[in-house]
Amino acid sequence: MELIEIVQGLISFFLILAFSPLFAGIVNKQKALFIGKKGAPVLQPYYELIKLFKKETINAGDSSFISVFSPLINFTSVTVAAAILPIGLWQPLISFEGDIILFAYLLGLARFFQILAAMDIGSSFEGMGASREALFAVFAEPIFFFTVGSIAFISGHTSISGIFHSVSLNNISVIVFVVVCSISSFILAVTECSRMPVDDPNTHLELTMIHEVMILDNSGIDLFFYQISSYIKLFIYSVIITSFFYPFSVENYWLALLVFLVVMFAISSVLALTETVTSRFRMKNIPQYLLFATAIGILNLLIFTFSE
Amino acid sequence: MESLFFPGLAVQMTALIFAILIKDRKKSLILSQVILIIGIIISFLPVLISLLPGHAGINISYNGMFRFDGLTKFFLFVIQIIAVPTSIYNLSYFDHYIKKGHSAASSIVFFIILVVACQFIVISNHAIMFLISWEIMGTSAYGAMLFEKEKPDVQKGSFYYFVASHVLVFIMYIAFFLLHHESGSWFFTDFDLSGSESSIVAAIFLLSFAAFGIKAGFIPFHFWLPRAHPVAPTPLSAFLSGIIIKLGIYGIMRTILFLPSVSEWMGWFVLAVSMVSAIFGVWYALAQHDLKKLLAYHSIENIGIIGLGIGIGLIGSANNSIGIQVLGFGGALLHTLNHAIFKSLLFTGSGIIYQNLGTRNIESMGGIVHHSKFFTLLFIIGSVAISGIPPLNGFISEFIIFNGFFMISNELKNDYSLAMIVSVVGLALVGGLAVACFTKINSIMLLGSERKKIVSFKVSMAEYISLGFFAILCIFIGFYPQPVLWIINGVLEEGFLPAGKGTLFSIKWGYINLVCISLTAGVAVLFVLRRILKKKYGGRRSAAWGCGYDLLTPKMQYTASSYADELNIIPKALLVYCKKYQDHDSVFPVETGFHSHSDDFIDTKIVLPVYRKSVAIIAKFDYFSRSDVRYYVAFILGSIAIYTMVAFLWN
Repeated sequence: MELIEIVQGLISFFLILAFSPLFAGIVNKQKALFIGKKGAPVLQPYYELIKLFKKETINAGDSSFISVFSPLINFTSVTVAAAILPIGLWQPLISFEGDIILFAYLLGLARFFQILAAMDIGSSFEGMGASREALFAVFAEPIFFFTVGSIAFISGHTSISGIFHSVSLNNISVIVFVVVCSISSFILAVTECSRMPVDDPNTHLELTMIHEVMILDNSGIDLFFYQISSYIKLFIYSVIITSFFYPFSVENYWLALLVFLVVMFAISSVLALTETVTSRFRMKNIPQYLLFATAIGILNLLIFTFSE
Repeated sequence: MESLFFPGLAVQMTALIFAILIKDRKKSLILSQVILIIGIIISFLPVLISLLPGHAGINISYNGMFRFDGLTKFFLFVIQIIAVPTSIYNLSYFDHYIKKGHSAASSIVFFIILVVACQFIVISNHAIMFLISWEIMGTSAYGAMLFEKEKPDVQKGSFYYFVASHVLVFIMYIAFFLLHHESGSWFFTDFDLSGSESSIVAAIFLLSFAAFGIKAGFIPFHFWLPRAHPVAPTPLSAFLSGIIIKLGIYGIMRTILFLPSVSEWMGWFVLAVSMVSAIFGVWYALAQHDLKKLLAYHSIENIGIIGLGIGIGLIGSANNSIGIQVLGFGGALLHTLNHAIFKSLLFTGSGIIYQNLGTRNIESMGGIVHHSKFFTLLFIIGSVAISGIPPLNGFISEFIIFNGFFMISNELKNDYSLAMIVSVVGLALVGGLAVACFTKINSIMLLGSERKKIVSFKVSMAEYISLGFFAILCIFIGFYPQPVLWIINGVLEEGFLPAGKGTLFSIKWGYINLVCISLTAGVAVLFVLRRILKKKYGGRRSAAWGCGYDLLTPKMQYTASSYADELNIIPKALLVYCKKYQDHDSVFPVETGFHSHSDDFIDTKIVLPVYRKSVAIIAKFDYFSRSDVRYYVAFILGSIAIYTMVAFLWN
């Protein structure tokens, strides 16, 4: 790896870390605007993070060392996963054949410890959230491999940056394929990042939450780590979706960066719009919603294979 | 060095003398296990050295009775590396019973025979010797399983195992007779099928797969596993899951080496069976409440993952692709080792839990972490490893197998791609379910508050040593897989592949090392940061949020059944999953109850009904033996006549 690539990788890595709260802020602002409210400032997530950073840390009575380490493991694994993703045409820090699997399993590591930490409290609220998280994860993993994985199969690469730089849009079926893939990865992002219609981050009732209820008993620095890793998670899932749009024969760095920004903004609008017009599904129906994403993934793949 | 191997085996066998002759139970336990460990280490040295790259192999054959090729040496390596900590664990496990006045001699004797027989199985080059060793292995495991023979479920479960292992041997006889018939020799090295018809080759493959598949526990041959594991003494369960079912894998791989050329359907067949085993193994596991039964189902899942590797390798071999074979067989071998390590860790852990709490039902456990942090940590290491999550060893082998799928699609294209993406998604589903299952048992058993008061939770030094040994191996292979990969690479080149062509190093392992190290370093740095911040801004403990309700009891915690319920109801019919509520109409609170249960579909809906039917049919012939003796004689003569006639006509 050349020095310039390492520098590029480092820059994009820090960009992801620095701007992920901003992305969440933009989504929230737009959502407020759509509803007709003024909304919190775009930088609100940063203020909240700084506030949490300076707060007292309270651990629940029966919690053990898992509750101490889980936020740290969560943050570290999500950050390392972020280092696999490219921004624009720049090489990411970690890029090798097979890193797509590493990416999925790093997020699995984060999830494993988050669930353990939730159950560590010994309260039924957290238990319920953890159970749902585990359930949705079982459905989410196949979606990831059906969408990103199928592009990997088509492009012949198994590194995320390799996949996204090699798909060329020379026929119409690829375009359809990419568009449908971005729909199912959008559903994936919504699920994994606990947004509506799968999970409502702003609900007031513990029984209806998933992600928020898992971190109900965390505060201070622990909550800081959980929050920032959930911002990063939302950001990196959106970055995956942006990556579907590079193949439109973008070769210039700056143009690629522009495409990146435009697509990111579009995703944030779509997220905000979805959250404005839909309400959270009933818990019972969420698996069906996820299976729907899997099903369009399969259909899409079949159409693509037979049109080749 | 190579001459040390058989003396080592001899030393292992002398451990038997100590186990039998010394009357003092404690002394006999300690002496026999120490001698056994010394013997294993003596014979381990030549195996390890010959596995290292650039070292000569072991060339002792005793007229061709034994042979040490790559596959043999690798399985010897696995057996010995697992047997040592298991023997250390024996010291503490059986000591528990000896203190209560229970004699452990028979189980110890059978355990030693078992360890020796397992090594003989993999080194034997003669079919008859292989079968004899196999029989000794199967029977001694049965003997060791009968440790608490006064309990009815022990008798039943172990008998299930005994019958399954004999059905298996019967099928194996047919396969070996066919091999002998085709090649005219009993020596493995002479088994030559290049002149045989393809139908014979297919028959041999299918028969061996069925026979060894019963031992390995592929679905639908798995039904004995979840019955035998819970009833066996824990060290034996660990060894059963770690080694004995792996001998089934050894057998399948050995059979593949007999085949002159691999047909592609074999690969697809193994792939399909393995995928079903992996998915349903873990799903059944999710529905269990009995810790050891749950772990037994996880063995089926992992055997499925190993099988996926074998399937990939077979497809690669049928298409003459060396890269695919390397990833497939290499992944299968590495997962064999990895599963042996983390499953032994989890089983020994389950034994420690059982001895301290007196129950295997996870619903009545909880809060172990408040009594032993270190034990909790070790058990969680095993769980992370078995879920295939970085940075531990389970991830490495699953990663190789994933890469195998991608490589098939890259090299063979078209229709293969479609099948491979389904396989990848299947394996991802297995990963997701494994995470759900292991978060379930870890959080219910170890974390939270105590559902049942734990009086004391003691973990002895011997137990810590054996658990720690396994955990260190998990971490080492996860962080730095290269040495093991060199070994596997050598093993593949010594049998599976044309010389000097296999390489597992097309994957950039340096990045995996980097990721593992940065994960650890990141957590360490953040831990220090958290400490500093907590000091600066304060930190304390407070009760968990109860929605304003203050009288929370440990019983109000989430239970394992409710945690897994929403996943279990999806394949409800296949899991034979049922829930029972005790409903009541009373306005006032009365005592109520809930019960959920899952049965094995193959076991309760196929095996047992078929068994009962056949018993009923055979019982009809009882008439002859119970009435006049002349009828009985006539019946015997008649059967002999029919048999002879058929035999004549056949020729």
